[in-house]
Amino acid sequence: MTFPLLQLTSVTKSFGAVRALKGVSFDLRAGEVHALLGENGAGKSTLIKVITGAHQPDGGTIDLSGERVAQLTPSAAHKLGIACIYQQPALFPDLTVAENIGLRLEKTRSFTRVDWSARRSRASELLQRIGANISPDAEVRSLSMPEQQLVEIACALGAGARIVIMDEPTASLTQKEQHLLFAVVRDLRASGVGVIYISHRLEEIFALADRVTVLRDGESVGTREVGSTDVSRRFRTATDGIPNPICGRPESVGEKSLLTESELIKLMVGREVSSIFPPAASEPGEVVLSLKNLGCAASGVSNITLDVRAGEIVGLAGLVGAGRTELACVLFGLSPADAGESILNGQRVTITSPPEAVAHGIAYVPEDRRRHGVILEMPIAHNMTMAIHNRHFPGTWLRFGAERNLAQEFIRNLAVKACGPEAPGGSLSGGNQQKVSLARWLATKPKLLILDEPTQGVDVGAKSEIHKIIRRLAKDGLAVLMISSDLPEVLGMSDRIAVLRGGTITAMLPGKSDAHDVMSAALGQSEKGIVA
Amino acid sequence: MNTDKHGFKALLLRHETILVLLLISEVIYFNAFGRRFGTADNVTNIVRHSVEIGLLALVMTPIILTGGIDLSVGSILGLCAVLFGKLWRDAGLDPWLAGVCTLGIGGLCGGFNALLITRLGLPPLIVTLGTFSLFRGLAEAITQGVDAFTNFPESCLVHGTGQLAGQPTQAWILLAAAKGVWLLVQRTTFGRSFRAIGFAPEGARYAGLPVQRRLAMAYVLAGVVAAVAALTYTARFGTAKADAGTGYELFAITAVVLGGTSIFGGIGSVQGTLLGVASVAVLSNGLTRVPGLMNIASELSGMLTGALLLLALASGLLPKMLADWRARRHSSSQSAQPKLT
Amino acid sequence: MKRYFRELSVAAALGVMLLLLAVFAPNFFEPQPLLSRLTAAAPKLVLACGVALVIIARQIDISIGSLFAVCGTCAGLVAAAKLPWPVAMLAAVVVGALGGALNGVLVAGLRLPSIVVTLATMVTMREALRLKQQGVFINLPDGAQWFGLPMTAGQFTVCGVAFGLLVLMAFAVKHLSAGRFVYAVGSDAEAARLAGIRPQLTTFLVFVLMGAFTGLAAVLNMVQSPQVDPNSGRGLELEAIAAAVVGGVAVSGGRGRLWGVLAGLLLLVCIGPALTYVGVKPYWEKAIQGAIILLAVVADGLRSWKGVNHG
Repeated sequence: MTFPLLQLTSVTKSFGAVRALKGVSFDLRAGEVHALLGENGAGKSTLIKVITGAHQPDGGTIDLSGERVAQLTPSAAHKLGIACIYQQPALFPDLTVAENIGLRLEKTRSFTRVDWSARRSRASELLQRIGANISPDAEVRSLSMPEQQLVEIACALGAGARIVIMDEPTASLTQKEQHLLFAVVRDLRASGVGVIYISHRLEEIFALADRVTVLRDGESVGTREVGSTDVSRRFRTATDGIPNPICGRPESVGEKSLLTESELIKLMVGREVSSIFPPAASEPGEVVLSLKNLGCAASGVSNITLDVRAGEIVGLAGLVGAGRTELACVLFGLSPADAGESILNGQRVTITSPPEAVAHGIAYVPEDRRRHGVILEMPIAHNMTMAIHNRHFPGTWLRFGAERNLAQEFIRNLAVKACGPEAPGGSLSGGNQQKVSLARWLATKPKLLILDEPTQGVDVGAKSEIHKIIRRLAKDGLAVLMISSDLPEVLGMSDRIAVLRGGTITAMLPGKSDAHDVMSAALGQSEKGIVA
Repeated sequence: MNTDKHGFKALLLRHETILVLLLISEVIYFNAFGRRFGTADNVTNIVRHSVEIGLLALVMTPIILTGGIDLSVGSILGLCAVLFGKLWRDAGLDPWLAGVCTLGIGGLCGGFNALLITRLGLPPLIVTLGTFSLFRGLAEAITQGVDAFTNFPESCLVHGTGQLAGQPTQAWILLAAAKGVWLLVQRTTFGRSFRAIGFAPEGARYAGLPVQRRLAMAYVLAGVVAAVAALTYTARFGTAKADAGTGYELFAITAVVLGGTSIFGGIGSVQGTLLGVASVAVLSNGLTRVPGLMNIASELSGMLTGALLLLALASGLLPKMLADWRARRHSSSQSAQPKLT
Repeated sequence: MKRYFRELSVAAALGVMLLLLAVFAPNFFEPQPLLSRLTAAAPKLVLACGVALVIIARQIDISIGSLFAVCGTCAGLVAAAKLPWPVAMLAAVVVGALGGALNGVLVAGLRLPSIVVTLATMVTMREALRLKQQGVFINLPDGAQWFGLPMTAGQFTVCGVAFGLLVLMAFAVKHLSAGRFVYAVGSDAEAARLAGIRPQLTTFLVFVLMGAFTGLAAVLNMVQSPQVDPNSGRGLELEAIAAAVVGGVAVSGGRGRLWGVLAGLLLLVCIGPALTYVGVKPYWEKAIQGAIILLAVVADGLRSWKGVNHG
């Protein structure tokens, strides 16, 4: 019998109180593309880190080609031919492309002479193989993010990896680069390499993958053969590069494909995409925030025109890297705008720093809870009052009693599960940390609340609680701008949906829109569809 | 009483207990082997001698809480002492007015550090290493390496040699500064911000805290207080020389780290710093009282202070290393289980 | 061309400086004083090589001034015991490497910040030396000075050793994989770990090498005079750091070339006489040194700041 290239059995991993993997089994055969699918926080990245040896699993076994691996360290994984292409490339910014590739591929013996010309020629050969137009002598810090990713892929290619993991590789690539990448992935598969492919874009999965495993809340909820549906086979043979699942294909086939897609979505979400969301608000009030051609060159956001009214939830949809978080950072003064104007409550404002944004009544609940949302080492009471120092502590004197009362009130209102206001933020689970982060900003009594992936990595129970809280806030007259990659969430919560692509708004859709309208706007394929 | 301590209570308690024990054993040792160590005169002496380092350590505390460091405080002290003398003797200012100007100069020096650190985002380490050399060098240049300012009028030396309510005057200055910094760090939103910045600079920015202004405040404050220390130093010795306060930054950092403040920022207390100052001061004074060690007391106390700093740094890591070790043992025993079945 | 911009600008500044000296103070170029000046700078070049390596690895070492004095004293004591100079040199290098290893263990092994660690070892070593030596100079036997050579030959030897080391190191950091590991670790320790390099070990060895270089520098300094001053080396760490930083070694790690360090050091060596000519008194030296460090760091800071804005 032949063994799979990689076999994980009942792998578990916990971080403190959070169980990131609850017994995941997964296998990868030689010469296949196995897609890994799941919402943010479903445990994909933890699983990847277990495979690359960055995390040691708490339990379960790992077999490579039928052989049990006892301790998988990063260097052992490297030696065993496991290569990972991260979204954020792990390159040396100060060194040249050739050297980056060289350091990865050459044996790490200390006293060998560096053959620079061999390094350079190998680098340019590898880069040519993936069709990347990058000079081997360029410093990596001068490259754009997609270029850096291509360098990573060149490293993996050169290492002759047997298992290549790609974590959202297309998130920041242009169409042309995507075409190239797809061809590279197919090359790898044809040469017997097993590829683990992580993507949020279902279309890519249909175009590339042989099998899909869906993760949800740290568990594997199913593995499906993609090749078994004739639709996908059709795709694969018919289109090279990114397929057009929505518009550019015959009706009959489209229906069947849609079925598969929604099946996958159902697997991912674990419930029907429907009425679990609280009902929408009645009538939105006055315009709170009005943006006119707002832009910021440094963060790649341009020409944003948008109104947000009191009592309204505006969803910001788009793919990873479409500029949603960047827009939020512009509004919050983290990367100030350099074009256009923003009008807040009828007054023109220029916001150049977060303190100014807070003073203007703008609140931003950031995406990365652990780094930006909550200070893990500090008690949750301190976290909750952090944005209201001026208001809550007149004359800068701390008032511990008042602080505790405020914290207790929020703990009660938002049902935060914690030992008390003194518990450090890091001791809480993800959902409760999110509530603390939310409480910090609600305490500022904002006029505009920007939520960035409010339920990412949050368990299902806390998720619907957070949804109820958001809706309640909107009902109380708050203007809410909600960024989410969770399509059902955007569709279910939003009164209106702004779709971003390439740093600008490509479509404004009403609240209960069709998922595919949002997706096609996010992918930028509606116009192309008409042409086709 | 103080909620800031929660969560780190165990660690701080540990640190402060160890410090108190260290202090007690120092006192017992020097009392047994030293000559005239426990006399009232000598206690006064210890206080007089530890004021400058105490002041510098106190203002170093907020800086280290933010995860930064200031190597230039000793040099600011020297420059301020020299400029105070210059303003009084050569510019003919009234000593009190010269003192006020000196405070301003200290603030400017701190502000220069702050400017480079916050505006250009340069690492505090290299900036203050540069100003460490620059400020001391300016002091040397002004005095041409040899000049010293002496013969200050008796009236303006009172805060270095005089007594107030039966205690040395500078004891009151130190006490006031300690109370002030304690209030700042434990009782105001500023202290809260320092800790937040030390724990997570990006997190503090996303919380809407004025990170740059808070950092600037810590460094400017250090400059001003270093100028105060320059004044007490000058008053104590009656002279202002370019080498005033050489090496004091080390003693200040040692006292702060010894006091349980994490060099990585966030964790720490002013009480701890004061205990740290006391242990360093008692050590260097006590050694001069022990026969046989008297002649080498200054070398020995410098050496021991350096060693103590290393020890304090390493012991600060101990709880974390133990926890890591336990976690590793735990995880390896867990991952071994499925293989057996 | 653009890649070497930083080094070339230092070299250009050096060229301008030399030109000015040639026009206004031609006696700067008289062979014997020039040779003496270069010989005096040779130990600093050796130190600057080591410091450059330490900074490239994104660390710092301010204990080298004290270690320099310790190594010099050790070598002096060995030489005074009438042992041949190679033994003295070996003793200094071994003692230096041990001192560096102490720093290395504390920084790499315990992961303590190098600035505080080396601040502590700086004082500990200096005071321990004062305790041991009580400021007493060590008289060297006749054969020890200039390695027993005539003075000019000795001066050439000292300069040659320092320059040879620079060439060797410049080759090693560019063309030996071990040298590239230092850059890799300083550029991104985590990425280095992923590439199979051991960052902690690399850091440790860099500190050991720094210590060994300090020992060598101490010997090159010792042979220049008939006595060893146990108080030598004060402020030397700043001169070495200044040379490295002016020469284009980035304090953020991972960037810098040793040829740049040579240019930086020569620039600093020329500034003294140039200032004397302009009429600036020598006690400004320390202030100017601080100002130069700050200037170099600010210039690099502004450059990378601009780079980020463009990118």
